[in-house]
Amino acid sequence: MHQKNQIPDPPPATADGGGGDGNGAELDNVVKMVSENPVMVIGTRGCCMCHVVQKLLQGLGVNPPVYEVDEVDEAAVAAELSRKVVGGGGDDGGRVQFPAVFVGGKLFGGLERLMATHISGELVPILKDAGALWL
Amino acid sequence: MDSPSSQFISSRRMGVYDPIHQISMWEENFKSNDNNLSVSTSIIEEGDMKLANQIQSEDASHGIFGTSVNYDQGANKLTDKTQRRLAQNREAARKSRLKKKAYVQQLEACRLKLMQLELEVDHAKQQGLYVGDGLGSNNFGFAGSVNPGITIFKMEHEHWVEEQNRQILELRTALSSHMDDIQFGTLVQGIMNHYSKLFSLKSAAAKSDVFYVMSGMWKTTAERFFLWIGGFRPSELLKVLVPLIEPLTEQQRFDAYGLEKSCQQAEDALSQGMEKLQQMLADSVGPGQLVEGTYIPQMDTAMERLEALVSFVNQADHLRQETLRQMSRILTVRQSGRFLLALMEYFQRLRALSKLWVNRPRELA
Repeated sequence: MHQKNQIPDPPPATADGGGGDGNGAELDNVVKMVSENPVMVIGTRGCCMCHVVQKLLQGLGVNPPVYEVDEVDEAAVAAELSRKVVGGGGDDGGRVQFPAVFVGGKLFGGLERLMATHISGELVPILKDAGALWL
Repeated sequence: MDSPSSQFISSRRMGVYDPIHQISMWEENFKSNDNNLSVSTSIIEEGDMKLANQIQSEDASHGIFGTSVNYDQGANKLTDKTQRRLAQNREAARKSRLKKKAYVQQLEACRLKLMQLELEVDHAKQQGLYVGDGLGSNNFGFAGSVNPGITIFKMEHEHWVEEQNRQILELRTALSSHMDDIQFGTLVQGIMNHYSKLFSLKSAAAKSDVFYVMSGMWKTTAERFFLWIGGFRPSELLKVLVPLIEPLTEQQRFDAYGLEKSCQQAEDALSQGMEKLQQMLADSVGPGQLVEGTYIPQMDTAMERLEALVSFVNQADHLRQETLRQMSRILTVRQSGRFLLALMEYFQRLRALSKLWVNRPRELA
């Protein structure tokens, strides 16, 4: 797994060094990043929807780190996140689907939820609460 | 099924009384049960012996036709006439059903094809295309062949528009009347649900042919001019419609403007995603090298990329739906009604404009 470097649109994001030699280390790394960042995006490599998520958040002034997962690792990462972050039976009632947005260390949802909350005006306050946005 | 053979046995028994009828029955059976031909000979012989016994031991068949059927599968208690009759009926009914089924299936296929062709012709005429040389059919993504999913969509969309025209009239009446808010709310909700229906129709059509939906092929020319990912651009629509529903409160105007801005941001994100998809697609098709079939893997990749288009259509429609919902939250019930009426009339006018455009007098070369 590799991590994508941010294209310097607005201020460049903090790209943590990712990658390792074993799956276990990388999975731990992902979970760590989720808990350490106010907003984080995890998506499959080459997925355009992940790009949409990123651009939407950047447009709001948030520049979240984006972790790209190879297709082959997708299931493993999703399972790990479901266990450690969502807690097995998250209110989604299911597995993590990519692209996934994490706010304040918790699973927020996918692109659809992001759009819906943005349109209803709820997203920006949530981001501010999580410390991802300042006035 | 034993009916053909039992038919033979009974017919043989009857042979003494009605040879002509028996022969015609045999003929009928030969036609429909060719494979029973070899069997029938032995059965006829068997029937001869049984016939001899029957004449001696049985009463003449009378009274059976009038009474209820006493059908015992094991013993041959039922008289010959009735048995034969029943078997004949069964056979005839079965054949009739099969014929009908085949006919209906054929009809359905022709009907679909005809509808597809009619719609294509209509559509092409609407766009002012020359119809009849088959070139127009390329617009529909399936050179020559019928895509049932799209045909169904076209049909359902026509009905959808008819229903919407009806809703426009209903809404106009309601607005000029003093309908109470609850009733009005139901009307508004009905229109919102109708839009939901359109989005699910589009979603199904996108699975059939995403390019058809992306290109807005079912829309008229003027509507397609404003096309963005297979439909209207929410922020643009708000810009046009919000001034039409004044008077609004300060707060409402503020909220509507905020919504417009949010739409714009969401649209930009989706547009950038589309650009990325285009770039990725070009990258996978571009360097294709035609070396003894090695270009195929790249085509596979390209195909996968195209699947992502379906998601874009769905996300864009989701955005449109949420925009409508948010407007209904910002506005009062009656204002929502005015907003939806303005929206529906806007598209109605675009369609009228398209027709005018197509039918405008043109100079012949």
